[in-house]
Amino acid sequence: MPALLEARNLTKHYGSTVALDGVSFDVHEGVTGLLGPNGAGKSTAMKLFLGLIQPTSGSAMLLGEEPYRSTEGRARIGYMPENDCLPKSMTASEFLMHMAQVSGIPPGQARTRAADVLRHVGLDEERYRPIGEYSTGMKQRVKLAQAIVHDPVLVLLDEPTAGLDPDGRQEMLRLIHRTANTFGISVMLSTHLMGDVERTADSVIVLESGVLAQEGAVAKLTEETETLLIEVADRHEEFVTALAAKGVQASDDGQLLIVEQAREADYDLIRDAAVESGARIRRLSPERRTLTDIFRSRPA
Amino acid sequence: MKAREAEVFDLGYQRYTGPREGRNRARLALFENGVRTVLGIGRGGRAKILPVGLFLAVITPAAVFVTILAFLDPIAGDDASQFIPGPADYYSIVSVILIIFGAIMAPELLCPDRRDNVLPLYLVRPLTSNDYLIARFLAFFAIVLVLVYAGQIVLQAGLILTAGDQVDYIRDNWQDVPRILFMGVLIATFISVGPLAVAAFTTRRAYAAAFVIAAWLLLNSISDGLTFQECTFETVAEDGRITSSSEDCTRPVGDLAPYVGLLNLGGVTDNLNNMVFDVDVEPGQGSPSSMAVAELHDAFPIGVYVLWTGIPALLLWHRYRRIRL
Repeated sequence: MPALLEARNLTKHYGSTVALDGVSFDVHEGVTGLLGPNGAGKSTAMKLFLGLIQPTSGSAMLLGEEPYRSTEGRARIGYMPENDCLPKSMTASEFLMHMAQVSGIPPGQARTRAADVLRHVGLDEERYRPIGEYSTGMKQRVKLAQAIVHDPVLVLLDEPTAGLDPDGRQEMLRLIHRTANTFGISVMLSTHLMGDVERTADSVIVLESGVLAQEGAVAKLTEETETLLIEVADRHEEFVTALAAKGVQASDDGQLLIVEQAREADYDLIRDAAVESGARIRRLSPERRTLTDIFRSRPA
Repeated sequence: MKAREAEVFDLGYQRYTGPREGRNRARLALFENGVRTVLGIGRGGRAKILPVGLFLAVITPAAVFVTILAFLDPIAGDDASQFIPGPADYYSIVSVILIIFGAIMAPELLCPDRRDNVLPLYLVRPLTSNDYLIARFLAFFAIVLVLVYAGQIVLQAGLILTAGDQVDYIRDNWQDVPRILFMGVLIATFISVGPLAVAAFTTRRAYAAAFVIAAWLLLNSISDGLTFQECTFETVAEDGRITSSSEDCTRPVGDLAPYVGLLNLGGVTDNLNNMVFDVDVEPGQGSPSSMAVAELHDAFPIGVYVLWTGIPALLLWHRYRRIRL
């Protein structure tokens, strides 16, 4: 399957500042997280793929075309910027209709698309109000709506949860999930929030100081480790003693017992220790790493 | 027959399978949006007050002239049209209103898009910054063109209808039609490109409008002030009889006056108008700067027009080419 986006030795300099330094990666269908701290080069990479800026060297290909030189591919993608980008005096309905037409959709179909997409992002009732009167959460939804109003193949979202309260963030992440899984539109999500990537993305590209730090499937990166977590309901001390007698070394953090480098046979020994000590096991599970753990453990 | 209850089905998200018309549709959409923005279509009543008011202000002189003509016609007959300004004078009469219209309305097209950061949303679609600028320019140019032609159409209609013999009038004055059309294009270009260029350098509409109006007032005042001709008469009398007299006229900038006159922003199109309609500027007619410029070869006013439209167009193009998104 051809990549939606391809970066090959992609480099961008702003004067003496190197924003991106020879990065290469592909973005395929599904949800891809573009992760990194502020100043890592995420927004620069997005702008290069959108054709808003030209690479210093290397190439950024969008649907097999150079977006800076060709406008064809740009008709099939959507973009949701991080900053405010909405005209305050227009209604959401009028704005979306206009944006659909600017993406090449004829007026009749643009009207239908605008109404449909506003319904899908939950702004059906508010669509005839000027955007200037909207809350931050509603504006974020209009920004997402304008990015998908022309039914693109891929939508690039730049910090879509920025400035949202916890409820608004959950709602936005739910919408992103729907965009990919229900609407069938691939998503590239640029964020510095690992939680957003973990919640929504299939794969992740990590940028740090303009270079590619890591890439791969989120499931692979956060796969199960060889650490076992055990929580017992009672007879804690007796259980620890029984475990030690069977040669299973467990560290105690007060609430959980942690068995590092657990082997297959340790499960049976833990069961036997529980029977002997009379402790009731409330939880026995392998530890799943989060992206945060992965980045904490990476050498600086 | 048993009535069935209506049911609403949610079809869910539907993929778009209709036509995609690409870059041309995008350009047309921007053009249409520009026209709607300037005219206040789709917005509240307040947004329409200014364009409608200025439109009426451009039409009103023509309507007044035609009304006067209708009253004079029974008295003065075919000579009635000589008592009111004709097509050659009309553009000069409404040029102030056109400048004000350009100064106030042109920033509406560019400033909000940059202030609200809408520009990146356009430029990630099948559009280039040149497409954006051309569509915005053409939207404003089209409106100004309609505006400059509207008054002339009313005036021409009045002149034809009040003429004793309409066919004779049209046969004698048909040359006015291409002159009106050609001059309208020149004026609309001048009124559009300058204010749009100024609007490209600020996100505040009021600043852009104030700058254009201030520049217009300042340059007109300076050029008229420096080209104003002061004449003194000397008479020699002998035995109570004037035997000879001489006129001595001076201008503050002396021989440079015709060139200083070219600075007059209002005169940029007035000078061309006089050339297109073949009007000779007589002493005492027109502004001091237009009388001074009349002393120059025709190439000078043409060159000044090219500069006053070409330089702003280049600035506009350069500004949007270099804009940081």
